[in-house]
Amino acid sequence: MAVRPGTMSRRRLLELGGAALGVGAVGLTAGCGSSVAAGVVGAPPSPGTTTFWNLWGGSDGRRAESMYDAYRAANGGPASLEAITFAWGNPYYTKLSLATIGGRPPDIAVAHASRLPTLVRAGILEEITPADLAAANLTQDSFSPTAWKAVTVDDTVRAFPFDVGPLVLYYNTDICGKAGLLGPDGKLAPIQGVEAFEKAMAAGKQAGAKYGAVWPVGGDPASNWRWFQTLHAQKNSAPFLSDNGHSVTLDDDEVAKTLELMSKWTGPQGYAPGSVDYAGSLSVFGSGDAAFLVVGVWEITTMQEVGVPFGMTTFPQLFDKPGVWADSHVLALPAQPGRSAESRARTLGFARFMLDEGLTWAGGGSLPALRSVQESEGFRNLKPQADYAPSGDIAVYDPTAWFAGAGSNFQIAVGSQIALVQQGLATPRDAVASMRSQLTRYAETPDPL
Amino acid sequence: MTATSARPSDTTPARDSATPATDRNTPDSGRTFDILCVVVLAVFVVLWVIPTLWAINASFKSNATAALGAGEILADTSWTLASYAQLLSAGNITTWLLSSAVISLTVVALTVLFASLAAYALSRLQFRYKNVVLGVILAGLMIPPQVLIVPWFQEFGALGLLNTYWAVILPAVPQVVAVFVFKQFFDGLPKEIEEAARIDGAGYWTIYRVLIMPLARPAVSAVAIFTLVVTWNDLLWPLVALTNPDIMTVPVGLATVGGTFQQRYADTMASALLGALPLLLLFLFFQRRIVEGIAGTGLKG
Amino acid sequence: MTTTTNVGTRPVPATTTTRTAPPLDSSGRAAWGFLAPFGLFYVLFILGPLAYQFVSSFFATSLVRPGIGPVLGLGNYVEVLTSSVFWISVRNTLVFTVLTAVPLVLLGLILAILVNRVSRAQWLFRLAFFAPYVLPSATMALIWYFLYSPELGLIDSLLSALGVGPAAVLGNPLTVLPAIALSTIWWTLGFNFVLYLAGLQEIPRDLYEAASLDGASTWEQIRYITVPLLARTTTLVLVLQIINSLKVFDQIFIMTGGAGGPDNASIPVLMYVYNTSFTDYRVGAASAASMVFFLLILGVSAVWLTLTRRNQGQVNR
Repeated sequence: MAVRPGTMSRRRLLELGGAALGVGAVGLTAGCGSSVAAGVVGAPPSPGTTTFWNLWGGSDGRRAESMYDAYRAANGGPASLEAITFAWGNPYYTKLSLATIGGRPPDIAVAHASRLPTLVRAGILEEITPADLAAANLTQDSFSPTAWKAVTVDDTVRAFPFDVGPLVLYYNTDICGKAGLLGPDGKLAPIQGVEAFEKAMAAGKQAGAKYGAVWPVGGDPASNWRWFQTLHAQKNSAPFLSDNGHSVTLDDDEVAKTLELMSKWTGPQGYAPGSVDYAGSLSVFGSGDAAFLVVGVWEITTMQEVGVPFGMTTFPQLFDKPGVWADSHVLALPAQPGRSAESRARTLGFARFMLDEGLTWAGGGSLPALRSVQESEGFRNLKPQADYAPSGDIAVYDPTAWFAGAGSNFQIAVGSQIALVQQGLATPRDAVASMRSQLTRYAETPDPL
Repeated sequence: MTATSARPSDTTPARDSATPATDRNTPDSGRTFDILCVVVLAVFVVLWVIPTLWAINASFKSNATAALGAGEILADTSWTLASYAQLLSAGNITTWLLSSAVISLTVVALTVLFASLAAYALSRLQFRYKNVVLGVILAGLMIPPQVLIVPWFQEFGALGLLNTYWAVILPAVPQVVAVFVFKQFFDGLPKEIEEAARIDGAGYWTIYRVLIMPLARPAVSAVAIFTLVVTWNDLLWPLVALTNPDIMTVPVGLATVGGTFQQRYADTMASALLGALPLLLLFLFFQRRIVEGIAGTGLKG
Repeated sequence: MTTTTNVGTRPVPATTTTRTAPPLDSSGRAAWGFLAPFGLFYVLFILGPLAYQFVSSFFATSLVRPGIGPVLGLGNYVEVLTSSVFWISVRNTLVFTVLTAVPLVLLGLILAILVNRVSRAQWLFRLAFFAPYVLPSATMALIWYFLYSPELGLIDSLLSALGVGPAAVLGNPLTVLPAIALSTIWWTLGFNFVLYLAGLQEIPRDLYEAASLDGASTWEQIRYITVPLLARTTTLVLVLQIINSLKVFDQIFIMTGGAGGPDNASIPVLMYVYNTSFTDYRVGAASAASMVFFLLILGVSAVWLTLTRRNQGQVNR
């Protein structure tokens, strides 16, 4: 942005424009007030309303809705909060950036921990000062160490950690029961190693399920990356990127081997379908056509609503060490010049409220970031959440780079190749070569930040 | 060629079964061809209405049904207005409709006014550098506005106009195409109509306002219609310029808020249809006019 | 372009001595007044931004940093022209253009001929074929996204019934562009149909009657009368279609969740520009890509102008 003029001249300009014109608007403006006024003169939203942007769709969105209602009930009615959900991934972050640069950001917004460094360096987010933390009655000790680390960028706190959302293994208890995969407690018996996992999928198929397992393949690079990364992070191999994304360090052989394995499962061995997208994978598992489902924790509500008998567990260790892909939602304050002290206090109050509602949120699958919620009786009694809670300790986050993070170019570039291999449309070798060349290109591109 | 007397009937010329039969053109082959035409057309009509009907159908089912699959949507006979009720009470879609209406109508009014004024000068008035002006404006036909989104963002940012209707309205107004539609129309008007008025001392502005514009109704409606459709449906630039959900246009709202990757298909279909409703109604009422306007200008954004 | 006779400068008859028309220079001054509103907007929002974009394409301008940034010279152009994704986006755009333009011209022509021949219930056909055209691109894209959804969309269910599904057509790099092209054909066919129908109705009837008397079959009449006489409409339809297809963005943005995927298999040039500028914050590089794209469209328009010139020449002869 070249110039950011003072509000005075802008307002004057707008008033001039508004006075001079309004040709088509005249008739309509008469009837409808505030939103048209906001469109014509760029008026700020009504004071007293906290605007909150998020990317929570599906069942996450419905759960969040009940939390907003609780906030509204406690804070002066429907007008106290305006919560808006945007399409997930790059489009959301583009929107958040454009709104902030365009001078009309929301008061508070959800971001992924994996996106935080980029947003901070782009000047999109304000710092959370010690005074802010004190105002919200929070300290470093209020959060788990992993979560705290994820929101600290260049030694300053940039957001409130909200949750940890790892990839997990969903299993159909009926099918797994028939297949003899359950332990005496009715939960999935521990699986360790590739062979055991393949045997479990085969057993599920033999027990009458259409597929041994299902996971999203088409149309959603991010899901492909999560699944791949879960397997790959369990190996002792080099990270994809180093040096803040300026060098590409992936281990071609190991990546190709992991891809080979995944493609075997969707291909020749036919354990899983190679042509479902995200919604399709949920639909397959939800209608009882697969013994296992590999997606993030946040689809728990979907499965509960569909009524399929299921359990969830930490994704088994198939390779050298335990590890699962994970990311965290954080609550951040987009840079808002001239944010009033009153508005800031109200916004911090909203953040604290959302954190305290962590148990409601945990009902949707994610692990709460606030220790008091984590250690509460309520959370420990939450099933099947407690069965996969250890995932949080072995969480592996995405690499840091200006082009990486949730739904980023990195996930798109790498995830697309993973999908192609699973669809049988690319060989693992070609896919690795393509990943390397695309990532190298980004790594060599002058950093815009 | 042999001259034939004009036929009074309005049957299509090719269906000429009354002509003397030859080896290649028997009445039979004509009729078979007609039947084939009807069958092919019927197939295409069915293919062309199914997507819309399917969307309408799904929008009146519950979200749960819509997420189960095509068979279930078809089998479910419990119609519900739940999606529409929910959308209208949430109010997003009505706000977007209002934004789209305000923006589109303002753009239409300004475009018709500015383009016809400019076209009047280019068509009826004589001035120095006229050919240069004409050339510069003609060159504008080759600049697709879409390539300007990047500098527009910088420009409107500097003006402090991002997230106002003006950011969408102002760059949509200078439509070179509209100038040329008007110019062509004015060129076709006889010169004599103004001369009397000139002699009576009427100024150019009066002539434009009182004489020319009333005659230019067909051009006005053509320009108005295509400007309306193009502005209403535009996504790319409004997507960049409008990030405040309270002032988003219908396409921007549909493309970003809620998102396509949720499993609430009944809601999604209902909002998509509601967003299209004003233009669809307009089309149903003014079908002939709109089609002729489009055919006359032969242009789309 | 026809030249206009100047109305304002006609010599005034001597009899009307009391009122005289203003002299030439007043016509000139009035003309600038008439041109001013459009001209101002044209300079402010078309020519000015284009010039700024040209300048900033030589700088490393960032969306999130103030000012135009450090000078890069031709760096942005080198980057764009050597970027595999940019060329993939050019290829996608051209493939999409072919996939839509050819069927749209053929289908538009065929359906117009059929409807013209049937001649009854024209409103029904106009409604069926043209109504999708007035839908916002977002509505169209959401409807087709739903139709294509694996496991639950209508089209995917039909494919499954035929034994080739479930097929994530939007998730497969081989099918994603044809699938989006199909939806676009559904969306815009009505426009070409209407243009062709208008063209058909201008063909004199006696041509067909004469041909019919001479024993020409229906097919021969179409082949030797209808199609050649519609050549001008075809040129217009084709060029408009090509220019529109080159500018494709909306439906791909929505149907691929803004990613242009899978694996960039559907990313069009405009999405490359959009992503570079607003997702990657790299305004300078996006400006260069935009300028290259502009030149591409300029080339197409130039070809069109030459073609129409030639056609008009033939008609006049």
